Amino acid sequence: MTDTRDRDDVRRPPARAPRILGFVALKLGGGALSLLLVVVLGFFLFRVLPGDPARTMTRSAPVSAEQLAALRHRFGLDQPLYVQFRDFLGNLVRGELGTSYTYNRPVAELIGERIGPTVLLVGTATVLAVLLGLWMGTRAAWRHGGSADRWFTSVGLTLWSVPTFWLGLLLLMAFGVGVGPMPGLFPVAGMSSPDVPPGVLPRVLDVGHHLVLPCVTLVAVIHAQFMMVMRSSLLEEMGEEYLTTARAKGLREDLVRRRHAVPNALLPTVTLIFLHLGLVVSGAITVETVFSWPGLGLLTYEALRVPDLPLLQGTFIVLAGSVIVMNVLAELLYRVLDPRVRAS
Amino acid sequence: MTPVLDMRDVSISYRAGGGLRRAVTDVSLSLEAGQTLGLAGESGCGKTTLALSVLRLLPRSARVEGEVLLGGRDVGKLTWGGLRAVRWAGASVVFQGAMHALNPVRTVGDQIAEPIRLHSAERVPTAVLRARVAELLEQVELPVERRDAYPHELSGGQRQRVMIAMALACEPSLIIADEPTTALDVVVQSQVLTLLRNSVARRDVALLVISHDLSVLANTCGRLAVMYQGELVERGRAERLVTSPEHRHTRALATAFPIVGDVSSRRVGEGERSGGADTPRGGAASNGALLSARGVSVSFTDGARIRTRAVSGVDLDVCEDEIVALVGQSGSGKTTLARTLLGLRRPDAGGVSYLGAPLAHTGGGLRAFRRRVQLVLQDPTGALNPRHTVYEAVAEGLRVHGDVVNEGERVRAALEAAELRPAEEFLGRFPHELSGGQRQRVVIAGALVLDPRVLVADEPVASLDATVRGEVLELLLGLRRERGLSTLVITHDLGLAWSIADRVAVMRAGEVVERGPVEQVLTSPEHEYTKALLAAVPVLTRTVT
Amino acid sequence: MTTNPPSGNVRSRRLAALADSWRVYRAERGGVLGLAVLVCAVLLAVLAPVLTDSAELDVTGVDASALRPPGAQHWLGTDESGRSVLLLTWWGARMSLLVGAAAAVLSMVIGTVVGLTAAHFGGWVETVLLRLTDFFLVLPALVLAIALSTVLSRGLFTIVLAIGVTSWPQTARLVRAQTLTVETRPYVERARALGGGHGHVLVKHVLPSVLPLVFATTTLTVASAIIAESTLSFLGLGDPSRISWGAMLKSAMDTGAVTAGAWWYLLPPGIGIAVVVLAFTLCGRALETVLNPRLRGGAE
Repeated sequence: MTDTRDRDDVRRPPARAPRILGFVALKLGGGALSLLLVVVLGFFLFRVLPGDPARTMTRSAPVSAEQLAALRHRFGLDQPLYVQFRDFLGNLVRGELGTSYTYNRPVAELIGERIGPTVLLVGTATVLAVLLGLWMGTRAAWRHGGSADRWFTSVGLTLWSVPTFWLGLLLLMAFGVGVGPMPGLFPVAGMSSPDVPPGVLPRVLDVGHHLVLPCVTLVAVIHAQFMMVMRSSLLEEMGEEYLTTARAKGLREDLVRRRHAVPNALLPTVTLIFLHLGLVVSGAITVETVFSWPGLGLLTYEALRVPDLPLLQGTFIVLAGSVIVMNVLAELLYRVLDPRVRAS
Repeated sequence: MTPVLDMRDVSISYRAGGGLRRAVTDVSLSLEAGQTLGLAGESGCGKTTLALSVLRLLPRSARVEGEVLLGGRDVGKLTWGGLRAVRWAGASVVFQGAMHALNPVRTVGDQIAEPIRLHSAERVPTAVLRARVAELLEQVELPVERRDAYPHELSGGQRQRVMIAMALACEPSLIIADEPTTALDVVVQSQVLTLLRNSVARRDVALLVISHDLSVLANTCGRLAVMYQGELVERGRAERLVTSPEHRHTRALATAFPIVGDVSSRRVGEGERSGGADTPRGGAASNGALLSARGVSVSFTDGARIRTRAVSGVDLDVCEDEIVALVGQSGSGKTTLARTLLGLRRPDAGGVSYLGAPLAHTGGGLRAFRRRVQLVLQDPTGALNPRHTVYEAVAEGLRVHGDVVNEGERVRAALEAAELRPAEEFLGRFPHELSGGQRQRVVIAGALVLDPRVLVADEPVASLDATVRGEVLELLLGLRRERGLSTLVITHDLGLAWSIADRVAVMRAGEVVERGPVEQVLTSPEHEYTKALLAAVPVLTRTVT
Repeated sequence: MTTNPPSGNVRSRRLAALADSWRVYRAERGGVLGLAVLVCAVLLAVLAPVLTDSAELDVTGVDASALRPPGAQHWLGTDESGRSVLLLTWWGARMSLLVGAAAAVLSMVIGTVVGLTAAHFGGWVETVLLRLTDFFLVLPALVLAIALSTVLSRGLFTIVLAIGVTSWPQTARLVRAQTLTVETRPYVERARALGGGHGHVLVKHVLPSVLPLVFATTTLTVASAIIAESTLSFLGLGDPSRISWGAMLKSAMDTGAVTAGAWWYLLPPGIGIAVVVLAFTLCGRALETVLNPRLRGGAE
């Protein structure tokens, strides 16, 4: 029982604009808080948790006490913790993420070089997976229990159960190296060949050629998630009474679906898609590792093998931070798209 | 003249499990242009199934026998294309619970325009469409600007108006209204019914109204038909059916909604009124009040951080051995006041006292209070944990208070007191194995087991079927007679207050606007609001004797 | 309505209700298949030390040549140091199941406590916990798990911790949602009005209705935990002293088995992961169907 339901004679005040501003402020504030949490977590994980980061970094090599002390001094580890955190924050604000231990170059610079390829891979894969997943989910839900539903669901679930990197290795072996009489169709590593003829088009085609296998791997694994979300969201809508209204009006089944059911099911799906962006990024790390795709994932892998803590810290903050930023954007977008959320 | 709707020996069954379940058996009825027919019956009697069969909107598992002729054409034999053409243009529907019947993500104007566009032979220019939507909104007395609103931005009554505008859009020859006013307030309900009645009268449209509430139908329709367990048991002109019902089920439906002002429908006898002084149990405050509120104010903070005051400065007493009715529309703050009286919510200002002592909000004082003042909720299905047996549900109170001496004995006694006899038969059952009335009795037994002095009953019969309502009300009166148990009944239903209460308090927008003995307040109200409420109550056209 | 049930056999009727649920579960073909596979996998994993000779897992103790294709002696061929791939895969199952189950239990405990606390107590407690949950939900789990396993010392416990603390938000949200639903039920209000406190409401009403759902979700969490374990091991963050499917695939990649076309080294561990994960997923989904009648197809 709601006690605050308005009565018929009460008109709602048209106080929409300030509410939207408030909402945007709230979401931006929340996003800022999350980013701060990422930074604190990044500091805590790589400076505090290891006890002595210098020892962690050098655990694969024998070092003398003097070398360790020099290392500690270089990374500011001999300072009190709060000083370290203050310096860390100050550097961050200036866009500095410290110096890589292995590359001996600024972390921010390394990340800047690698961010493009990751955006290309993750972006392409996400767009393809979303389109494929939404289409398949709609088909599956509308003919609930039909053959398309059964096929999509079983194939989707199976692909979802496969580790991304393993699927990548298989594709690499089958289509990169080649099996038996079949030669390798796609490049096995990197994102460009050294012997590309000059000109924009050949270079784009070359990158596209390199992109196929990593992208297919990523799409194959993540589209299933989007499909299942769309499927259950649409199934939920299908029992709703407004669809009976639409049918009673004389709408054809496909119009009932396109005009009424799908728009309602799509909205919650959009938020869930963005919530799953973290999964795509996780998948990208292993795919980049398998295909030596020169992005942030591969950089992370290179850093964790040493382990190069400043570099890892940098990739952690950038990857986690960008996912959070994307989510805030998604929530703002959702607000624009869904009239129910818009007014409440 | 061909009837608009002609149903001949219609039987409908659902495939369920392995077999068939009959929902409607051999129903025949016909309706001509300009006629209005009310179809009455309790939930589950098959009336909605029958209505949906007119446009072949039943789920695939349904099987329809007999003929449904719409404008002389058999709906069952139409092709899909033919059927789509008839839908909405031939007959339209005002669905129950307009919140879910409207698409939440499209504007109402868009949804009203949709069937017009769909059923026009050629493209309708946007300007024409907009003008038509504006015209329709005007007819249902909604401001034209509301066409750009989304369903959730409208109140329940406004949504129902949108549904009516939508139903009128293609100028059908038949409108089916399925529980068009359920979940609406009395005042809004009468507005919507008037609108519906006028809309069809102006156009010579046939109207089929379906409801569980006989008084709603009697107010809207010329003829009535009563359904019971899938069959039509009685039909006739509305006045005749209401004043001299023949079938016992029709009688039950008619008496379930008592008439305010009609002495015969008052269940409180002379002898038992205000007899508290004869059997004092002692301890009452100086003015005789068991439970009283003084200057109680409660406010909420909603999601947008806007404070709304639900209750402001209310005084209310529940004395020994009396039934007090707190009457108000939804949103009037009556439920919030009840929660505050029970100590489930803290007031911002003012206070609640029991036997003259202020109510403690923590610890032992509150627990002792909770034994003496008990709550009975509106929806007995929700009020019982589906995983607990009747025994556990009734014993819960004792266990909470660590009072487990003779538990079994006391549980049985409480069940018997709530007239669940023999108690043994009910102890091991789960809520889903009981009927609605039995569940409400279990809830009452769960309160009685703690031997309370006051029951706070929030809409105790609102979700019960007509036939069961009377029995549960009788139980409340009986408990008062036998145990001197006082009850505060919270209700939107003036008829209910009339039938069982001694005193009534009318609440509006968080304030008590009028109070006094039931006979006085409900027969000669002083406050404008009480008068408005009384005027809006659908009154059966029976003359008061 | 059934005839007069004697009050004494409530217990047996609860058992009957359980049997009823099992009947619904049995109707889910995928769930039954998944359960059968799981029972086999767990039995094989537990019995590995009894049925096989762990000495053959020692690199120094084998004399077969490296990367031999499947044959009579080694049904699934050999790895880069001449060990039987079949034997490695068999033993690898132990690690995957152990880590998967342990991490899922850890995440279940964290998620349930957070979700229940947030929903029941509300107010600022809820605000803080929700913000934290949303934060961890959005955070790329693998990135955090990589960070944790890098800075902590390598070992079984570290992996379980890294996976457990990154996979609880889903459970927390689910538990919170379910708790909120249950707490709006009138019977909870009735219990409060009867005088029941936090403990009474949580233990008698909320937990019993939340736990089955938590169980179903945990089954699904095991599936993702197994994938996470294999991924961490593949990245070289696993427990170096134990055989695991992910670690096998890492050696396959590092030692050039992929470019050599040694499919027999690549396929078994991957199929092992896929089969076990799929089995857990199918069981979890079937359980959800049993618990949530709305998902049951066609019945209504």
